[in-house]
Amino acid sequence: MSSKFVIGRRKVIKSTGALAALAAVGPFFHVRPALADKGELVVVSWGGSWAKSMREVIFADFEKASGLTVKDDTPPENAKLKAMSDAGNVTWDVLETDLPAIQTMIGNGLLDPMDYSKIDKAKLDKIPKELHSSHAVGNKLYSFNIVYNSKTFPTGRHPKSWAEVWDGKAFPGSRSFAFRGGISPQLEIALLADGVAVDKLYPLDVERAWKSMDRLRPLVKKWYQGHAEAIQLVTSGEIDIANTVGSRGITAKRAGAPIDVEYNQGKLGADYWCVTKGSKNKKAALEFINFALDAKRQAGMVQRDPYGPANADAFNHLTAAEAKDLTTSPENIKRQFWINEDWWGKPGADGKNENQKQKERFAEWMLKKG
Amino acid sequence: MTPASAAAAPALAARYWRSRPGLLVLFCLAFFAALYLYPLAKLFVWSLYGPKLGLANYERLFTQASPFIAFRNTLDIAVIVTLVCLALGYPIAYLMTTVGPRARAAISLLVLVPFWTSILVRTYAWIVILGKNGIVNQALTDWGVVARPLSLLYNMFGVQVGLSHVLLPFMVFPLYGVMARIDMRLVRAARSLGASPARAFLHVFLPLSLPGVAAGCVLVFVLGVGAYVTPALLGGEGEVTLATLIELMIRDLLDWGFGATLGVMLLTVVGTLFVAFSAALGLDRLTGRG
Repeated sequence: MSSKFVIGRRKVIKSTGALAALAAVGPFFHVRPALADKGELVVVSWGGSWAKSMREVIFADFEKASGLTVKDDTPPENAKLKAMSDAGNVTWDVLETDLPAIQTMIGNGLLDPMDYSKIDKAKLDKIPKELHSSHAVGNKLYSFNIVYNSKTFPTGRHPKSWAEVWDGKAFPGSRSFAFRGGISPQLEIALLADGVAVDKLYPLDVERAWKSMDRLRPLVKKWYQGHAEAIQLVTSGEIDIANTVGSRGITAKRAGAPIDVEYNQGKLGADYWCVTKGSKNKKAALEFINFALDAKRQAGMVQRDPYGPANADAFNHLTAAEAKDLTTSPENIKRQFWINEDWWGKPGADGKNENQKQKERFAEWMLKKG
Repeated sequence: MTPASAAAAPALAARYWRSRPGLLVLFCLAFFAALYLYPLAKLFVWSLYGPKLGLANYERLFTQASPFIAFRNTLDIAVIVTLVCLALGYPIAYLMTTVGPRARAAISLLVLVPFWTSILVRTYAWIVILGKNGIVNQALTDWGVVARPLSLLYNMFGVQVGLSHVLLPFMVFPLYGVMARIDMRLVRAARSLGASPARAFLHVFLPLSLPGVAAGCVLVFVLGVGAYVTPALLGGEGEVTLATLIELMIRDLLDWGFGATLGVMLLTVVGTLFVAFSAALGLDRLTGRG
């Protein structure tokens, strides 16, 4: 056999292998979005239409006012920030994410305390005290709701409580819940489905909640990876009922998709602004947060994506019809409950918070073949 | 060896390393050390911090059930996918060796075009094909074969179908590479000596193609064990694979120590299987020592 050919084969195999390896690790190389010290501010959010709206409503004006260029990046994940911090080169300045994730970041020393002296008092007065956290200030409110296909369940004959979502006989059809449970495993919702009163939820009866999850499991056809995927599954009719972010469902409904949202027993949470430790633009970062919390800009954001504004004054800039659709419209908010972020985020004796512990338990629960 | 030439050897070696091919080899070694060995070593070091230096992560690995269930799920997927790829890939590769150059180019193209297409696109295509209102279910319900749409997606079946499609080229090309080198006169000789076509194939062609089988199986298996995107999108009922579990540890829980430990476990098991495979199926013949 000619040795030339053998070398050729070997090369082919090696290069195919190398290509495959590159393809496999590709997503983990973090492409630097911007050089933060060159008059640029990097704002990291969960992307999608929200990031697009931010560009139109906030970034454009802020660039004019400050002379800085605003770059956006996504997603604001713990792991990426930790990798940047370990490498000693934090390129992110401002993050928008949920409190349990923020608590984990604080535990890893990745965030600076929020400097409230740099935010206008008039704005802070209009933001509920619960959203003034040590390292972060609330920006938008969202909730996990019953999002259903309106062809399978015409509005009015749809499941109106989590107990009904858990009831596969009265409401036949497939369910989809978040893999890893999104912000945190949906234990509150499991307890509500099991008949626990909404004011008796915390501290959560974890064992009872997981037993309730056991009953849900046979109904779940797909544990979705992202909220956009959940909306797509319901819109296409692949899934009949999903537990996902309601305002995304409203956005799809506005675009004409056969989808609707039941706000009853929704789990309300918030996304917060925070500043990274190691940011080279601390001053500008705080200026940006102050700028973004302006009532008019908050109203502009929720007109496009119907979440709830943290700044209550935003409702002054909305029409009655626009306000009605919001997660936190007077009609919707009274039927929902607040996640107790302290219960989820406070570190226990072993340094881990409940969010981390229950997510680990979720992985184990997932692995037990049901 | 004379004393003189023995003395000259180091000088010769030094000259070799300074020569152009030597520099290239050095460059490759440096490249591999920096981009492969260094991260690998770092991964191993991380696995020893849990968070204090020690074997706490390994203790967890052997006392918890979840890594092993995840590993079994991973193997379930990788083994089935390897077998499916072999069953589909072998006839394709065989066909490529028997047809003319033009037909061979056409078949190569059919295998390569999906290979060049993004894995995400191919995975989403399967969602369209296998979905509740997808082409397959539409056809089956329209023809009255089934009363209600079959559950083809978001389960083990969906993952195995999707991943087999994604990895098929990694089976076909190593197989074809080996088959193209097989001297077909040997098969004809067997036929002229009275062997039936089946017998000539089984006793002459098949054994000669085994190194290709081994190479293809190893490639598909290794890629299958590490697959992340396809199981995440096409699975649904909780087919948690090792890759998914590692992702959870690294991305969500910031438990990089245990994530690294799972990575080391995966590498060790796959490495062991690779050595066993190559010993049993003669992979070394492929790399020129046979």
